Amino acid sequence: MQDSNKIIQEVTSAEYKEGFVTDVEQEFIPKGLNEDIVRMISARKEEPEWLLEFRLDAFRKWQAMPQPDWAHLDMPEIDFQDIIYFAAPKKDKDRPKEIDPKLAETFDKLGIPLQERDVLAGVVAVDAVFDSVSVTTTFRKTLAEKGIIFCSFSEAVKEHPDLVRKYLATVVPASDNFFAALNSAVFSDGSFCYIPKGVRCPMELSSYFRINARGTGQFERTLIVADEGSYVSYMEGCTAPMRDEQQLHAAVVEIIVEKDADVKYSTVQNWYPGDADGKGGILNLVTKRGICKGSGSHLSWTQVETGSAITWKYPSTILKGDFSASEFYSVAVTNNHQQADTGTKMIHLGRGTKSRIVSKGISAGVSQNSYRGLVRMARGAEGARNFSQCDSLLIGSRCGAHTFPDIQSQNPTATVEHEATTSKISEDQLFYCNQRGIGPEEAVGLIVNGYAREVLSRLPMEFAVEAQKLLQVSLEGSVG
Amino acid sequence: MGHGKYIAPPVGQYQVQAGEVLNLQFVVLPGESKEIDIAIDLCGPGAEAHLKGLYLSKADEKVRFKVLMHHRAPACRSTQLFNGIAGGEADVRFDGTIVVAPDAQQTEAFQENHNIVLTESAKVVTKPQLEIYADDVKCSHGATVGQLNQDEIFYMRSRGIPEKEAKTLQMLSFLSPVIPAGREEEVEKAIRSL
Repeated sequence: MQDSNKIIQEVTSAEYKEGFVTDVEQEFIPKGLNEDIVRMISARKEEPEWLLEFRLDAFRKWQAMPQPDWAHLDMPEIDFQDIIYFAAPKKDKDRPKEIDPKLAETFDKLGIPLQERDVLAGVVAVDAVFDSVSVTTTFRKTLAEKGIIFCSFSEAVKEHPDLVRKYLATVVPASDNFFAALNSAVFSDGSFCYIPKGVRCPMELSSYFRINARGTGQFERTLIVADEGSYVSYMEGCTAPMRDEQQLHAAVVEIIVEKDADVKYSTVQNWYPGDADGKGGILNLVTKRGICKGSGSHLSWTQVETGSAITWKYPSTILKGDFSASEFYSVAVTNNHQQADTGTKMIHLGRGTKSRIVSKGISAGVSQNSYRGLVRMARGAEGARNFSQCDSLLIGSRCGAHTFPDIQSQNPTATVEHEATTSKISEDQLFYCNQRGIGPEEAVGLIVNGYAREVLSRLPMEFAVEAQKLLQVSLEGSVG
Repeated sequence: MGHGKYIAPPVGQYQVQAGEVLNLQFVVLPGESKEIDIAIDLCGPGAEAHLKGLYLSKADEKVRFKVLMHHRAPACRSTQLFNGIAGGEADVRFDGTIVVAPDAQQTEAFQENHNIVLTESAKVVTKPQLEIYADDVKCSHGATVGQLNQDEIFYMRSRGIPEKEAKTLQMLSFLSPVIPAGREEEVEKAIRSL
């Protein structure tokens, strides 16, 4: 009996376990945002002239843009002058090559192996980003033998400037939207990945983003290029400490998929969601877009969104190459005061292009969860095909679930289908579980996992287990 | 107006009280550019609203449907079905929103919008939207944009039905759920004129 009590207590009190702060010496640049700050970031990263110009250009464009307000979100006023745009853990001068043990400990605590000998070694290569800098990238040598480049964005600028210059901002131009422009001006670090022609990446590539410092924002930039006939599976994870203040995270991810290449991009987003009263949490405002450039290319997005106070995210695909295909699988969970406005855009340009959207929203507490999607069939999209399915699950009577699809067709041979349903966990389902000795919390977890299964099964193995646990934790305390 | 029994309902705001049932049917035939903007408030428990809409366009018509279905009270029911065919350089847009207020439990709201695009230069945009603030609800919406089914046309042709006739039959069956009583002939004539 005591045992079971203990288990119940443990389960119900489980909360955001990644919410700790690492006590490490950090250097910051001054608060605020102006051209000097942009120059300072660029100088600190020892960037070439063209990149500084790119940043300044983006900054000027950003200044002229209004902050978008079309999303179904109650967005707090963001004071862009009250943010520190660059924070990095100090390097030990005596041992500049080694990872600070405190940082290694942090990532260890988060379950991210920075040492290549660790258990997951051989399966996953990691680029670990701490605030504004990349701490380390594992397995670079092993990957380099196959010609694969996997490193931090800053290193890529120094070592492969031609590649970066060729592809940077080709999918998300600096003037694309307000937050993409801001990112283009002040982006700090992220991952760069290039898979050469015909190479099948032998391990999962992964980026892990950690916000640590107070009063900062994180502006990562990721660029993935899959050359002809290559394959890569890329995963992204993120966490942040628990704080009363809201922190900004505005990332840009660009993916270029050449002829017959195949890219799988998975995200498990677990930023700090704020406390039960809606205080604090991360504002997650990101732009992710890929282009299926060549014929027969394929891009698949899978996302599990459980964290963040506010999520504003629309991973999109431009289907330019003939017979290219893309998928979007998403589970978005909101609890307490969280708000999510997320979905995808599928722009069909090429002949015979195909896309599939499966979105599962779960809202609990007093949260608001929206799906927003665009499917566009352009004139040239002969015989293109799309299928979208957006389901919402409501837990509790004070939350909201919304669906905002936009379907545009300009081609008589294209077919678009959209369907959406909204439902709640029925008393019958809960009763059935309770009757068999499964507690209400566990029953909800079980039902939700079943509901989200179609998406979860698309995740790489290492992520799927984590995601299932996350779904359960995120919904704790939402029943009864 | 006065085509048989059918009278086009006025656009604008409707309020449906407890226990009342509202039925509306809209028809837009070739040559008509129209903007149909309606907002329906289901104000009392048990109120019902059923909407149907049909459009046929073959030249450069601009057809707009804007429907706001607001479930303000519990146990209300609404259904919507809008079907249409866009040819020529038609520009068609459907904006349908269902809002379920926080206390409107036991709501049932369904919305469908189906479109057929006949030509390269026709354009269809559909935005079916759900905004739901209550949990004990059954809501769904569906939207499709597609073309005439080639297999079905082949089936009919292989049985001696000429291609044009096969297409007409198919369009007729596609639109039949939304053709108001008394206007069947007129709609059929319009389909043949496409």
